Amino acid sequence: MPKVWVARGLKKGVLTSRFPADRPTSAEIPESALPPSPTPGADWRAGRKECPTGAIRAEEERVDLGMCIYCRRCSSAGFSFGEGAGQESRALQAGAVADVARATRRAFRRSLHVMMIDVGSCNACNLEVLNLSNPYYDLTRLGITFTNSPKHADALIVVGALNRAMVDVLKRTYESMPEPKMVISVGACAISGGAFTGTEGFVSPVGEAVPVDVVVPGCPPTPIQVLEGLLLATGRMTKATRP
Amino acid sequence: MAYSNRVEVRRVEMLEDGVQLASVFKIGDHTYVMLSDTKANKTVLSELPPTLGEEFGPLLKGVDAPAGAHLDMDPGGRVEGYGVFEFPYGPVSFGVPEAGGFKLVTYGERVIKVVPQVNFKKRGVEQASIGRSPQDALILVERSAGNFSASYSTCFLTAVEESLGLEVPSKARWTRAAAVELERIYNHLHVFGRLAEAASQNVAAAQANALKEDVLRLNSKHFGHRYLFGLSVVGGVRRELSKAECKELSNASRVIAREFSELVSYFLSSRIFLDRLQGTAKLAAADALRLGAVGPAARGSGIQWDDRLTYPIEPYEDIYVNMETDSGEDAMARTMVRVNEVESSTVVLREILDRIPGDGARAGAEGHRSRVDLPDDFSFCRVESPSGDLVQVVRLDNEGRVSGLHIRPPSLVNWLPLAKSLQGNVFTDFQFAFESFGLSFADSDR
Amino acid sequence: MIVPGLLDALLLAAMAAFGAGAVLGFASKRAAYLLGVVGSSVGAALSLIVLTSGASASVDLWQLTSTSFAQLQLSPFNSYFLLVSSLVWLGTCLYSMRYDDDYPASLSSLMLLTVLSMVVVLASGDGFTFLIGWESMTIASFFMILEGKGDREGVRNAAYLFLAFGEGSTVFIMLAFSGLFSLDGTFNFLGQGSAALAGPLGSWVFVTALIGFGLKMGLAPFHMSEWLPIAHSSAPSNASAILSSTLTLMGVYGLITVISHLGAYELWWGWLALAVGGTSALLGALFSAVSEHSKGLPAYSTIENNGMIVVAIGSYIVASYYGLTLLADFALVAALFHSLAHSLSKASLFLVNGWMSKLRGTFDLSSPNQVPGAGGRSVGVAGGFTVLSLAAVPPLAGFVSEWMILEVLFQSFRFGDLTSQIVGTLVGAVVALAAGVMVVTMTKAYGFGILRPRGKGPAGTGVEGGPASWSFAYFSALIVGTGVAAPAVFLLASDALSRTLGANPFGMFVTGLLGVPSPFVILSGSPFGGFSPTFTAIAFVLVLVCVAFAAGAFRTRPLRLGVAARRTEGWFAGRASPDERTEAYNSFAYSTPIRIMLRFLFRTKESVVNVGSVQRTVVESPEEYIVDLEVLDVFKRFYDVLARWSTWLSAVVSRKAMPGKLGLYLIYIMAAFIFVIIYVLLTLG
Repeated sequence: MPKVWVARGLKKGVLTSRFPADRPTSAEIPESALPPSPTPGADWRAGRKECPTGAIRAEEERVDLGMCIYCRRCSSAGFSFGEGAGQESRALQAGAVADVARATRRAFRRSLHVMMIDVGSCNACNLEVLNLSNPYYDLTRLGITFTNSPKHADALIVVGALNRAMVDVLKRTYESMPEPKMVISVGACAISGGAFTGTEGFVSPVGEAVPVDVVVPGCPPTPIQVLEGLLLATGRMTKATRP
Repeated sequence: MAYSNRVEVRRVEMLEDGVQLASVFKIGDHTYVMLSDTKANKTVLSELPPTLGEEFGPLLKGVDAPAGAHLDMDPGGRVEGYGVFEFPYGPVSFGVPEAGGFKLVTYGERVIKVVPQVNFKKRGVEQASIGRSPQDALILVERSAGNFSASYSTCFLTAVEESLGLEVPSKARWTRAAAVELERIYNHLHVFGRLAEAASQNVAAAQANALKEDVLRLNSKHFGHRYLFGLSVVGGVRRELSKAECKELSNASRVIAREFSELVSYFLSSRIFLDRLQGTAKLAAADALRLGAVGPAARGSGIQWDDRLTYPIEPYEDIYVNMETDSGEDAMARTMVRVNEVESSTVVLREILDRIPGDGARAGAEGHRSRVDLPDDFSFCRVESPSGDLVQVVRLDNEGRVSGLHIRPPSLVNWLPLAKSLQGNVFTDFQFAFESFGLSFADSDR
Repeated sequence: MIVPGLLDALLLAAMAAFGAGAVLGFASKRAAYLLGVVGSSVGAALSLIVLTSGASASVDLWQLTSTSFAQLQLSPFNSYFLLVSSLVWLGTCLYSMRYDDDYPASLSSLMLLTVLSMVVVLASGDGFTFLIGWESMTIASFFMILEGKGDREGVRNAAYLFLAFGEGSTVFIMLAFSGLFSLDGTFNFLGQGSAALAGPLGSWVFVTALIGFGLKMGLAPFHMSEWLPIAHSSAPSNASAILSSTLTLMGVYGLITVISHLGAYELWWGWLALAVGGTSALLGALFSAVSEHSKGLPAYSTIENNGMIVVAIGSYIVASYYGLTLLADFALVAALFHSLAHSLSKASLFLVNGWMSKLRGTFDLSSPNQVPGAGGRSVGVAGGFTVLSLAAVPPLAGFVSEWMILEVLFQSFRFGDLTSQIVGTLVGAVVALAAGVMVVTMTKAYGFGILRPRGKGPAGTGVEGGPASWSFAYFSALIVGTGVAAPAVFLLASDALSRTLGANPFGMFVTGLLGVPSPFVILSGSPFGGFSPTFTAIAFVLVLVCVAFAAGAFRTRPLRLGVAARRTEGWFAGRASPDERTEAYNSFAYSTPIRIMLRFLFRTKESVVNVGSVQRTVVESPEEYIVDLEVLDVFKRFYDVLARWSTWLSAVVSRKAMPGKLGLYLIYIMAAFIFVIIYVLLTLG
């Protein structure tokens, strides 16, 4: 059989996600990527005891998504994943939050150059961010491209629990970026330290070293969730227009 | 009491032929060495003899280095000459999408010596685990290296369960093994995709990455997490596969295998791709043995060691695993080992899924080994992760909390072989050498 | 109207100034160089007058034979070369007033003596005076090289090799002159209106002249004669500038002069010149790219440029052979203009590199930077224009001339038969490749030799000021000016030159086209390519202005130049700035890929020698490496042998015959000359 890539490609058909035109499917944001939510009979105190990172705030009766590592140990205390949220879309549940100045959002509406920096991750977040360029997610269809140098970057995706050896590196990288710029914290480790809070190498959440504009919770967040964070950051999607 | 016939406890004075250092670790007041006898296929345990202490120094340094500062894995030797300088690479680069660096000693183009720089992101999983319950420590251990998470948790839990004397359902052990095989498949696909990207074979890379995404989605569907986090718990697994799921997964793995072999046949017809791999980053068998290479890197140089065969934990004793080796010693050989392993892993996976025992079956914690005649009380396990032999040594205190944990990640011992293999290559071969070893800084830094 | 005798007086005045400078040099270097400035200013003015008016200067010295006079004469053709040389000398003497404080006083004397000899060469109306000039030029340069610093043995070898090649050149030129002499029986064949030589005698003259002048121009395979003395002797940069940019120009002048006295060209002359020129251009470019010596690099580049000039001359011969007078004349203009562009740029490069090397204390480009931030603004600017010109960036002088040469070769399809077309096309490809390699080379020269990282240098370094600064500014202005105003240069020299050489007035190559007014477009054929350096420059400036305006218009704040930018450190993959000594990418590494790729040409040997003892260890291998990457000139082995012989021979000759015994030396020249003439007369009869 002649080895023709095009034929192979045609045979495989279109793999690319319909997001953001359509809601993400359950394969794109599986249960494991959805945050815990209390069922009617949930025991907040038991949940807090089970939670290894303190994401469950029993006093305030809420879950801090930035801390949650999606370990599902709280399911024994009556927290569920992906259920109970009713009709809300999966994307909305995932809880990415963006707070970007309007002028900056406007500047990057059609084209965004993204750089990823790892400051102490377990490699899962790195792989999920890299997966954005595979045919299933195909980042470039949205005018977003990866770049290798902060001098060319508009947005900095930070993954991992900020390590003492990487603090200066992160600051230097941020400094090297031209204005306007934004920082996107991806994953629980970057947002709060996640599972690695209290380890020897961990310093602080990324937000304490450089100003963070967007947070994408997850452990690791799926590529669609990262993509959502990017779209929120550029103002191409808002809380209201989430599919 | 004695270990099974796979483990030997004896006093070692010097390294014999065919014996490779697996790890050096401190438990309690003593320092021990673990060796892989590649001829007898045995794991040898010994107290660290003073005659060998110095030679194990660098590895010990790598194992014990504190977090918060990077560490040069210097292979030793000084380079001097006209125009020689150190080319710093990383810790932020897209060629290596992780926090880790290299110092390439060169006079331009030609790589004369490589100093891998690790521990840019050493979090200190081992220290942080001490005093935690195994269940809490597991959270950290399985996040040491996200893409080797199934191997890490299996390795850790097997050792812990043995220490605790827990009876673990066979089904759980088999399920973990299935997860480890899936992990191997997607990691090998990842390496393959990265190699294709390095050769600018973008269509091919896209296809390989799409296939990898398929496997990740299988993971998520059947094991509850794309990177297999949280699958295992102490004494079992959180999620058990139904018969129907086994069937579905088995069929899916057949599709993956078929697609991949087709992809590979496309690749092997591309001269451009082969040219970049053949003869690149040669690692002689003697060096691989001497420097402690493990996994596909070692098997690509003809070293016969695969924990699934040489240190089989539960399902692997009953399952036929074909050891994939290649005597090519170059990047091509390592790639072919991985390619063949994807194939054989799907076969192993199918066999596991077909023969997965029912709920009733319980395996004794003693499995194939028990306590040893060593001054300190510990248990250990070795698991063949996608990048090779992963060693974990665990000691629990009386309350069942972790009082000592030693992890010897496969990437840590593969840095020096990588550095050795790169000598004499040119800059543009770097990417191929690095990817063909499939190393991860998260893994080595833990 | 020019007063009769004015030109003669000016010529003698210029020579007198140089001569006086040479004598004064022992007393005061400053005064000597000042006289040099005066002399070259007079020379430049004189040649400008001759070029524009078309008048000639002529001074008869004494009678040689019944038909020959020793004579100085200055036609528009000679004066073009005198103009180019004078411009270079002027800048170099200015620079020297500040530069060569740590060289002996005799250097300034020798330099001016060399310059004086070159005036004699250019202004000689007869073969005999020419040879006297030629020989004294060689010997003065020889002593100048001998003054160089560094390894004594190396300097001596280099100097004697230079002398050997110089004498070889003289011998071949004598052979060529003998042919010219045989035509009319007079030595005064360098003036105009001589009859044309053809046939076997013509071939004889052409080949001997090509070898004789080629030896001086450093053409392959004699390129050793050019780079070795300059690179190995660490001669002061001002001397190097004179040697590399004007000494080789004498070769160009001689070659074109001899060719202008040949009629009915043979086709193979053209092929030979194309082949020699193309080879020299490519070899020069490649060796230049891998040179780590801040003067070796420009020296090799001279070989490349002279190769290009010879390619243009070869094209001139081939085009003339096929009766393509327009193309032939354009090729000749290209050769002449390239001589101008190259001489100015190369002298400037030597001076700039010399200045930087002095600051850094080394000629080694790849040695780690000792003085961050050293080197002032004028060095940087002059260096920038210089390397841009040599890398052929429009609209600078170097681009205009290289464009012209390539345009000639593009038109090799006009040549009358297939072989010539193929030869022309191949040489065109080679020249284009050489030009491409020069971009890499010049990037290296600027990046590692001139551009220093931002930083605080020791106080006082890099403040050039005074004459040196003027000299840098002077060369920058000339390089930009001759490029942008290239059509004006054509028009200036048009009538005068074409009367001597061409069939067409050169003014016809400038015209107007596509809305660009006449005479701002250079046309390379009818119809073929066209280029307007002036309007390219205007377009560049306009684009810059537009960008500046656009930047201002889209800003919220008004644009203030020099204030707006936010400065950050460079990006080093997240690390702090690399250590300049151990981590910076050096120039050796920059060109190592070429060394490795072209190992067959450079005879590259890479070896990693293991000297430490190797123990059987598990993870550590305490090995010690000594790295060595050696690059050899393919011809070096051959020359090494030659150098040994010539050192011995030249030493004998120079010790026994030359110093102090001028009469003996004159007899040597006369005897050799007469011998050659008799020989030629006998053989060619």
